[in-house]
Amino acid sequence: MVPIIDVRNLGKTYRTIEKENGVKGAVKALFRPQYREKVAVHDLSFQIDAGEIVGYIGVNGAGKSTTIKMLTGILYPTTGSIAVLGHDPQRERVANARNIGVVFGQRSQLWWDLALIESLNLVANIYEVEPSRYKQLLSHFAEVLELDEILKTPIRSMSLGQKMRAELAATFIHEPKVVYLDEPTIGLDVMVKQRIREFIKDYNQTHNTTVMLTTHDLGDIEQLCSRVIIIDNGSKVYDGPLNAIKQQFGKFRTITFETNQPMTSVNLPPACEQLNLSEFSLEVRFDRSQISASQVANAVMQQLDVADFTLNEPDLESIIKHLYQNPTAYNEVGARG
Amino acid sequence: MLRYLKLYWYFVIQRFKILMEYRLNFFIGSISTVLFQGASLVALWAVLRQVPSIQGWTFEQILLIYGLLTLSKGINHLFADNLWVVGRDYIRPGQFDRFLVRPINPLFHLLADRICHDAIGDFIVGLSLVSYAMVQLQLPINLASIGFIILMVISGGIIFIALNLITAATSFWIMDSIAVTNVVFHTNEFAQYPLTFYHRSIGVLLTWLVPYGFASYYPASYLLGHEIGWMAWLAPLVALVCIMIAYKVWLLGLRNYGSTGS
Repeated sequence: MVPIIDVRNLGKTYRTIEKENGVKGAVKALFRPQYREKVAVHDLSFQIDAGEIVGYIGVNGAGKSTTIKMLTGILYPTTGSIAVLGHDPQRERVANARNIGVVFGQRSQLWWDLALIESLNLVANIYEVEPSRYKQLLSHFAEVLELDEILKTPIRSMSLGQKMRAELAATFIHEPKVVYLDEPTIGLDVMVKQRIREFIKDYNQTHNTTVMLTTHDLGDIEQLCSRVIIIDNGSKVYDGPLNAIKQQFGKFRTITFETNQPMTSVNLPPACEQLNLSEFSLEVRFDRSQISASQVANAVMQQLDVADFTLNEPDLESIIKHLYQNPTAYNEVGARG
Repeated sequence: MLRYLKLYWYFVIQRFKILMEYRLNFFIGSISTVLFQGASLVALWAVLRQVPSIQGWTFEQILLIYGLLTLSKGINHLFADNLWVVGRDYIRPGQFDRFLVRPINPLFHLLADRICHDAIGDFIVGLSLVSYAMVQLQLPINLASIGFIILMVISGGIIFIALNLITAATSFWIMDSIAVTNVVFHTNEFAQYPLTFYHRSIGVLLTWLVPYGFASYYPASYLLGHEIGWMAWLAPLVALVCIMIAYKVWLLGLRNYGSTGS
């Protein structure tokens, strides 16, 4: 099967002018600019098939947005190639744009002063959506995204949640085959988040739309994505099923001990790792395939006067956090590519 | 092409709806342009009434030059006003990205996004001046002269747009181009008067480097039957060359577009 998104050896280097402080520095930068190169994305390759929802995650500044902007045609890559449904997003901008939909969670693509319905009409005109089809989609979106109450409201007077629902309608109104969602749930309350996730999931299932999603909300990932690509410092560090991460790191558990007296240093048994240590609490992670919780608890309680302890199941958040903090851990999950 | 025309019309209608929401703004915008032009005219008149003519140019003849320039400026003002603020209002706040992910030409999208109705003021003032001057100077007003003026105003308008497009494209490197646009744009003020008023270098500059002279001095000379008037026929060609160069610069800028952080 030909992949929908085909990225090969993609790289982006920004060249910025290095400025020294003060007026003197500014003048110097004007006449004898010193350039500094910053590699935002390095040798990135991946393929995404039709109907996949891929979570594209990484810490701030890892290169997520730069990648999305190259995939959508906004930025020109420095090296490598991109094909989205066979189109080069930069050289065949218009052809590519017809196939894709983009949501940038932090900025609106709609007209600030226009009522939502006017904005949608304009978008439909730009994408040449067939009028009867447009009518159909509009009434469908109005229902699932609950737009009726805001159709006549200008974007500028909408709440954040209303704005995002409006954005989604505008993004899907031309029935894109590929959708890029950059932080679609940022700053939203639980109810709206849930509705948006359901909308994406439902649309993906009914249209077999390919979705690439960047987010810091692991709830988005857990509910939507079967596959995850993790990027760190501009390079891909993991590409594989979400389950593999969970299984591999699922073998870790943590125990938090609380004491009444100030903590002293503790000798931990093998296969244990001290995570956090404060005056009255200690967090230990252990590999349960090698040691049991009771063995760990025993060992600690022999050394400390423990007042209370809790056993914690790992959640995705702590797994990803662990991955971010320990780059070598990526190898443990057998990153593909 | 037809698609773009239809789409443009649709953008115009939407813009009009927004304007109707801010009705006061609408009127203030139109009136302020008229007042602004009026103030420049009063200043012009105050100087010129002291003398019957300067280097053989009468007040009415200078008004003709001034009027033609104002009409060309009006074209630029109406269709391409967004070029002034592309850096400040679109690139810096990250609004430019949306133009690049839609299936229409990004430049078209930028220009269509805000048709500037304030230009009505330019057209009112420009038309009044040209008509007044033509009548006073007893120049023939017929199909040929009207056709000539329309051709010149369009050419001049394209020259204005082209130069603003070049300076606007610098936003892709320096973020906000208003200062650069200001410097280049305001050289058009030389073209409010006959280019023979200035040192030769200014004349050359306004003809070949920032060719605003083709929007005013040369067409007026042609209408007045001056020898140099033949140059006016170069205006459409100059406009074409300018806009082609400008579009190349724009495309180069797009390649260099860095967007802004997420």
